[in-house]
Amino acid sequence: MRLHPFSVPYRALSRGMSIGLMLFFLGQSLVGTDALPVRLTRPGLFALAAVGVVAVALWQVAYYRRFEYRLTDDGLEIASGVVSRRNREIPLRRIQNVDISRNLIQRALGIAVLDLETAGGGATEASLRFVGYDEAKRLQREIQRLKRGAEESETGESADREVRDDREELLFELATAELALLSALSFDFRYLSLLAFGPAAFPFVPGLTEVAFVGGVVLVAFLVVALWVISAAVTFARYYGFRLTQVGDELRYERGLLQRYDGSIPLSKVQTLTMTENVLMRQFGYATLAVETAGYGPGQTPSGGSEAAIPLATSDRVARLAQDVEPFDVPEFSRPPKRARTRYAFRYGLALVGLAAALGALEVVVGPSSPLPVPLAAIPLAFVLFAPVAAHLKWRNRGYAVGRNHAFTRNGFWDRTTKVVPYYRVQTVIQTKTIFQRRRNLASVVVDTASSAGGAAAAVDLDAEKAAEFRELVGEKLQESLRERQSEDASPD
Amino acid sequence: MEVLNPRVRLVWSVGAVTTAIVLGLLAALVDRFALGVGLWVALVVAGLALALGVVFALLRYRIWRFEVRDADLYLERGVLTRVNTVVPFVRVQHVDTQRGPVERALGLASVVVYTAGSRGADVTIPGLTPERADDLQEQLRRLAIESERESDAV
Repeated sequence: MRLHPFSVPYRALSRGMSIGLMLFFLGQSLVGTDALPVRLTRPGLFALAAVGVVAVALWQVAYYRRFEYRLTDDGLEIASGVVSRRNREIPLRRIQNVDISRNLIQRALGIAVLDLETAGGGATEASLRFVGYDEAKRLQREIQRLKRGAEESETGESADREVRDDREELLFELATAELALLSALSFDFRYLSLLAFGPAAFPFVPGLTEVAFVGGVVLVAFLVVALWVISAAVTFARYYGFRLTQVGDELRYERGLLQRYDGSIPLSKVQTLTMTENVLMRQFGYATLAVETAGYGPGQTPSGGSEAAIPLATSDRVARLAQDVEPFDVPEFSRPPKRARTRYAFRYGLALVGLAAALGALEVVVGPSSPLPVPLAAIPLAFVLFAPVAAHLKWRNRGYAVGRNHAFTRNGFWDRTTKVVPYYRVQTVIQTKTIFQRRRNLASVVVDTASSAGGAAAAVDLDAEKAAEFRELVGEKLQESLRERQSEDASPD
Repeated sequence: MEVLNPRVRLVWSVGAVTTAIVLGLLAALVDRFALGVGLWVALVVAGLALALGVVFALLRYRIWRFEVRDADLYLERGVLTRVNTVVPFVRVQHVDTQRGPVERALGLASVVVYTAGSRGADVTIPGLTPERADDLQEQLRRLAIESERESDAV
C-alpha cells in the first residue's frame, strides 16, 4: 500500500516552506558580499528559494514513491527510504497503541497520521505520514482483528470466542458541562513559559518601592489568572468531544477540538491504572482516570503525561470505569505511621527557617529594602505555624494497600494520585531508606512496572518492617499470579 | 547472602582518587584566578575528597549484599540511601557481563541485569571475579528462560 497522494503536497509545503525561507534568509545575508562566486541579486534570491522548494517537492515525490507498507497476518511491513532503504516488520503482538491524529489542515484534506507504539525504544515505533483517514481507521481495526486471530491460533483457544461481538460499546462521553468544569478546574504550571512575555506587557511603574510592591502583587494576580485562562483553553481544546468506547478487547478514544486524536489501547496491555483528584476535584467529588500501557517513550504521550483515559467524571463513575478496565477489589488503605507526620512537619519547618535565614542574610548584605513594617525574614517564619497542618495533610493523603490481585498506592495532597498495579505487571520491587528515614525507622517501596507514563507506584514512609513485608509480598504475589495464568492457559474452560 | 570480592574496594578507591584529582585541580584553578590563598587549599580539597571517597568505598563494600533466591534476585546496597531491590527472574530481559579497564587490571567483572521496568530498568552487581560473573550470568540467563512461562513481558 502507498501513502495518501495528498501527503506529497502536504509534506512538500510544510517542509518546503521552512527550507525555502531558510535559503531566502541565508541568501539575504549574502547579498552584496563576495562570499559567493556569483553576485547575488534580489531575483536571484527568489530563484534560490524557489530551487529549494522545488528540490524539497521532488524529494517528497521520491519519498512517496519509495514508501510502501503492507499489513499481513504476522505484522506490519514497512519499506521506506529514498536513498538508504529500510525494511521493517513490526510483529502484531508487540503493538501496544495505535494512534491517529489529524490537525485542522489534515482534516480538511482528509488525511491523518498513524502512529504505532511498541514497548521499548525511545520514540514511536512507526509513523505513517500521511494516510487517508478511512485507511487509518481501517488499519486500526485490522490490526486489532489480526492480533486477536494470531493470539487465538497460538494459544489454541476455541473458535467460539471469535464470535465475540465487535460492536462499539460506549463507556464514557464527556458532557459539555463536564468539559467546562474540567477546563475551569485545570491549572497547569507547565504553561508558565507561555507567559514569559507577561511581565513585559504589564505596565510597571518604576521608582516608588511601594508602588512596585503593589504592582508586584497585581502582577502575580494577573499571572495567576492568565495561567488559569491558558490552562482552561488548552484543556478545553484537548478534551473537546471526548468519547471512550470499548470494541471487543480494546479501548478506543476520540478527542480534540482543533487536532483530533483517535487512539486504541489493548486491554491486555494495561500496566497501571492511575486515578487523580486535585484539591478542587475532591471538593466536588470528581476524579480523572489514566490507563497506562508500555507504549510511549518518556514524556511523549499524546495527552501530555497520561495516556487516554477519563479526563473528568464523578468519583464513583471513575471507580466503576476503572473496574471495567481492570477488575479489582478496593481494600482499606493504611497510612504511614504517625512519626512520618512528625518528619514532614520538621522538614517543612526546617525549609522555612532556612528560607528565613537566607532572606535575613540577604537583608544584612543589601540593606532593608522591604516596604513592609516587618523584616522580610519574618514572612517565612510566620508560615512555620502552618507546617504541622501541611504535614498532616500530606500524611493523611498518603498510603498503600494490598489487594488480592493488585497493589495500591496513594500520594499527594494537591493532586492526590491513586495507583492500581496488577501484581502480574510488576517488573521490580525497590525498597529505599534514606538516611533521614532510617532515623525514624521508615522506608519507601516502589513497585515498578513497564508503564511509560507518570511515575511508578510508590508507597512512601512505611514502617521499615512493614516495608520489607510489602516488598516480599509483592514478589510472592507476582509468582502466584504467574502460576494462576499458567494453569488457566493449560486448561481452558 | 553473598558479599562482593574485597578487591572491589580498590576499584572504587581508584574512582575516588580520580574524583579527588579533578576536584583538587578545580580548587587550584579557583584559587589561582579568584581566591589566591595558596596552593594548600587545593591539596586540602583533594585530600578531603579522597578520604571521603575511600570511606564511602569501604562502607559501600560492607553494605553490598546479593542473593539468588528461588524466584528472584535480591540486592541490598547504598551508603546514605539504603536500597533493597527484588528482580523476579521472569522479568529479566537479558544479562550482560562488563569489565572496565580498572576492573580488568584488578581481575574483577560486573554483571548487569536488564528488565523492562521504567525506573529500576538495569541493575549492576559489581566486584565479582570473572568466573563468578560468568557463572552468575549463565545462572540468571537459565533461570530467566525457565521462569518465562508466558512470554509476554509487557
